[in-house]
Amino acid sequence: MCRHLSPVGNVTYRESDTPRGRALMLDKVSQQPQLLENPDFQSAIYDAELSAACRTHCVSHFDEAGLLLAARRDIVESGKIPAVVKQVADSIKALKLALKGDAKAEVIYYVDRYTERYQPEMAAATEKILKAAGVSFQIISGADTGKALAVLGCWNEAKETAEKFAKSIRGVGKKVLITSCPASYDLLKNDFPKYGIDLANELEVLHTSEFIRRLVKAGKLSLRPSTAQSVFPLASDFLGNYNTGFTAHEELAALAGVTLQPFGFNREESYTAGEGGVVMDELNPRLVAKLVEHVLEQVDNPSQDMLLVLSPYTKYVLSKFATKKLHLTTVEELIAARIKE
Amino acid sequence: MSNNLTTIMESSRHAGRSYVDAMIRSELTDAVGADYVSSNAADQLGHSIDYYWIPEMWHDRGRDNPKAQYIVHPGSAEEVAKVLRIANNYRIPVTPWGGGSGSQGGALPMYGGIILDTKRMNKVIHIDTEALTMTVETGMNAQHMEWAVEKKGFSTMHFPASIACATIGGFLAHRGTGVLSTKYGKIEDMVMSIEVVTPEGEIINTLPVPRHASGPDLTQLYLGSEGTLGVITKVTLKIHPIPQCRKFHAFLFKDMHQAMTAGANIMRSRLRPCVIRLYDEPETARLIKRVLGIDKQGAYLVFGFDGFESVVDLEMTEAIRICMRENPEDLGEELGQAWWDNRYKFFYPPYMFHMPQAFGTLDTVATFANIEKVYWAMKNVVNQNFPEAAFIGHYSHWYEWGCMLYARFIVDQPPKDPEEATAYYNRIWDMAIRAAIANGGVINEHHGVGLKLGRLMKDLYGPAFKVLADIKKVMDPNNIMNPGKMGFRGV
Repeated sequence: MCRHLSPVGNVTYRESDTPRGRALMLDKVSQQPQLLENPDFQSAIYDAELSAACRTHCVSHFDEAGLLLAARRDIVESGKIPAVVKQVADSIKALKLALKGDAKAEVIYYVDRYTERYQPEMAAATEKILKAAGVSFQIISGADTGKALAVLGCWNEAKETAEKFAKSIRGVGKKVLITSCPASYDLLKNDFPKYGIDLANELEVLHTSEFIRRLVKAGKLSLRPSTAQSVFPLASDFLGNYNTGFTAHEELAALAGVTLQPFGFNREESYTAGEGGVVMDELNPRLVAKLVEHVLEQVDNPSQDMLLVLSPYTKYVLSKFATKKLHLTTVEELIAARIKE
Repeated sequence: MSNNLTTIMESSRHAGRSYVDAMIRSELTDAVGADYVSSNAADQLGHSIDYYWIPEMWHDRGRDNPKAQYIVHPGSAEEVAKVLRIANNYRIPVTPWGGGSGSQGGALPMYGGIILDTKRMNKVIHIDTEALTMTVETGMNAQHMEWAVEKKGFSTMHFPASIACATIGGFLAHRGTGVLSTKYGKIEDMVMSIEVVTPEGEIINTLPVPRHASGPDLTQLYLGSEGTLGVITKVTLKIHPIPQCRKFHAFLFKDMHQAMTAGANIMRSRLRPCVIRLYDEPETARLIKRVLGIDKQGAYLVFGFDGFESVVDLEMTEAIRICMRENPEDLGEELGQAWWDNRYKFFYPPYMFHMPQAFGTLDTVATFANIEKVYWAMKNVVNQNFPEAAFIGHYSHWYEWGCMLYARFIVDQPPKDPEEATAYYNRIWDMAIRAAIANGGVINEHHGVGLKLGRLMKDLYGPAFKVLADIKKVMDPNNIMNPGKMGFRGV
C-alpha cells in the first residue's frame, strides 16, 4: 500500500503513520476492539492527517480516512476519549453562533473559526468582493458547524451542533450560503444529510471561490489584469479528495489572468499541513509544525514564490509554524486585490 | 474483558523491561534522537508484518507476529553506524526495514531486537546532468525519487508495482526490478556505486563506476544481500532522458509456446523492447479478461518500445513482423496501451489475491532453452500434489538469453489452523522451487530470498553456499545483521 501520499508518515517515518500501518492497526482493532483503549493506538489514530488522498489516488481507492473516522468515533463512544481530544472538543462545544447583518440579505456568509480568529484578511477580502459586486449578505460566525467535532469522533455532539447551525439559518427563504472553509463546505454539502438535516430546498452551499466565479462570469465584478507573478496552489483536502472535481479556484485564477504552476514534485500527497484533521494544530501542534516544515521543503524559492492556499486552517498553520517567511494568499485576497474600484 | 487484555498487554510490555533495556534505549536515543526511537505498540505491529503471506496469515488468524523491541530511524550513515556499534556491543539483532513491501519476509524481526527503519534517509543528494546519474539516500520512497528526477527532466525508468510503497534501498537489498527492465535493466544494472555501513559500524564506498578491472565487484556483493552484510545508505543510479514516445502492441497467440517463440525471437533479433509480457493461457483467461476485458482463449503477449519516434516505429515494425510468423491474432496498439495504462491494477484489489486465500509468487529465471521446462515442471508438481491449487504465470522480464517466469499459485481455502497452513504453504514452495532448480531455474528473480526461501539456498548453491556463509561470518562476526535470513545462521 502506498506510502508516498501520507504526509504524517513522511515526517514521522513511523509505520503506524502510513496507510498500511494504519490498516494493520485497524484490522487488529477489529479483532481485538479493546485495543482502541491502547494509548499508542489512540495516538496514531488521532495523529492521522485524514487527507483522504487514498480515496483519490490509491489504485483500489482505499478509504483510509473513513476507517480512521469510524475508529475515532468508536474511541469516543467507548468512553475512552483521550484527554487532549476531550479538551479540544469541550472548547468547541462552548462556542456560540452569532448572526450579524440583514436577515433579508441574499447571501449568508459563514465565517469559520480560523478565519475569524487568525485570518481576518480573508473575511475582509470576501466582504470587499461582495460589496463590490453589490451582493447583500448576512454573516454567521463564532462557532463550529459540527465538522470539527465530527472529525474528533464526537458524532452525537457534532450532530447537535450541526442541528443548531441549521436552525439558525432555517426559515429565512431561499439563500446562498458561502464559506471559505473547505471543511465546513464539506459538512454542509455532504454531512448534513447523514445527520438527517435537509436544507437542500432552502440553501445553495458554495465555496467562496465558486460564488466569486459566478459573480465574475455574470459581469458583476471587473478585475484588473494580473501581474506576471507565478502562483503555486496548495490543493485542499476537502475541495479535492473529499469533493472530487472541484476546480472553481483554477477557473477563477484563469479568469483573473493568474498563471498557476504545479506545487512540489508529489502530485498526490497533501500539502495542507493537516486540513483534513480540521483542528490538528490544537491536537498536536508539534506534529503540525513538522508538516509545515515538510511543505516548506517543497517551495523552490520561499522569498519569491506566491502560494495560493485554499483553506483558512492551512494559511494559519503555514503562517504560524513555518521557519521561513512564506508569501501566502487565498482566492479571496487574490481577487479582492484585482477589483477595479 | 477489554480492560483486562489491555492491562495484560501493558504489564507484559513492561515486565520484560529492566534497567538494561532502559540503558540501551538511552544509547539509541543518544545516537538518533528521542523522536526516532520507539517501542510503541502501534509501531511494533506495523513492523511485524511485511507482504509475506505467512505473517499476514498469522495476523489474519488472530495471532501475534514476532516484534522488535526498538524501532530506530537514523537520519544519516553516521547515525546508522552508531546504531550498529551499539547493537554489536550488546549483540542485539538488527533488521533493516525500508518500505516493508517485501514479499519474502526479509524485513521481519524474527528475533526481536532492533528494527533499523531507513525512511528518514530520504534525500536526493545530487543529479549529475552530464553523466546522467543521481545520488540519493536509500530510505527514499521510489515514487518520490522518480517524481523528483522527473521534475528535472529525467527518469529512473524503474517502475515496479511496489513503486508507491518501497524504498530504493529495498530494491537494492533484494535485486528488484521494474516493468521496463528489458531495456533499462534490473536495479543491479542501474547502480553506479553505493555507500554501505558495515555491521561493525564502518562507512565505506564502493568504486565510483561499475565497469573496471580493479578487483572483484564489491557493489554487486552487497546488492541482494538483504541487510545481512550491512546497511546500504546511499546509491548513485543511472538516469535517463524522458523518451520522445513509448508505444505498445499486443497479440493473442494460440498457446504459450507460440507466444514464447515470438518473444524469444524478438530478443534474439537484438531489438531492444522496453517491455515484453507474456501471459499463459490460464492467466490470460483469469486476469487479462478481468483487467483488460479481453475474453478470448490463448496467450496474451504485449511489447513496447520507447525512444525517438522514428526509431520506435522501425523497431515496432520489425517486432510485429517477427510475431506474425507465429500467426497470432493481432490485438493492435490499443489493447497494448490498455495493458500499460492498467499495469499496476494487476497487483491491487480486487484483482490481487487476498486472505483467506493462500497465494505465492514462484518467480524464477532461466535460459530460453529451459524456461518452458521450468514452467511445466512447476505447474505439474503443483497440479499433481495440490490439485486444489490454481497455477497461473506470465513472463515479465526478458534478456538476450532467456526470461523471467512470474508463476503464482492460489489456494482458495488453505487450512484454517495457522500452523497447518504454514506447513502446507511451505510444502508447495519446497516442491515447486526444487522442480525449478532441477530444470535450470533459480529460487528467485527479483523478490529476494528472505525468510521464505532461505532453507532452499543450499539446494540452489550446493557447496558454493559455504562461500556465501563464510563471507557473512567474516563481515558480520557477531551475526547481528538480519540473522536467520537468506539461509544464514539464526541467533
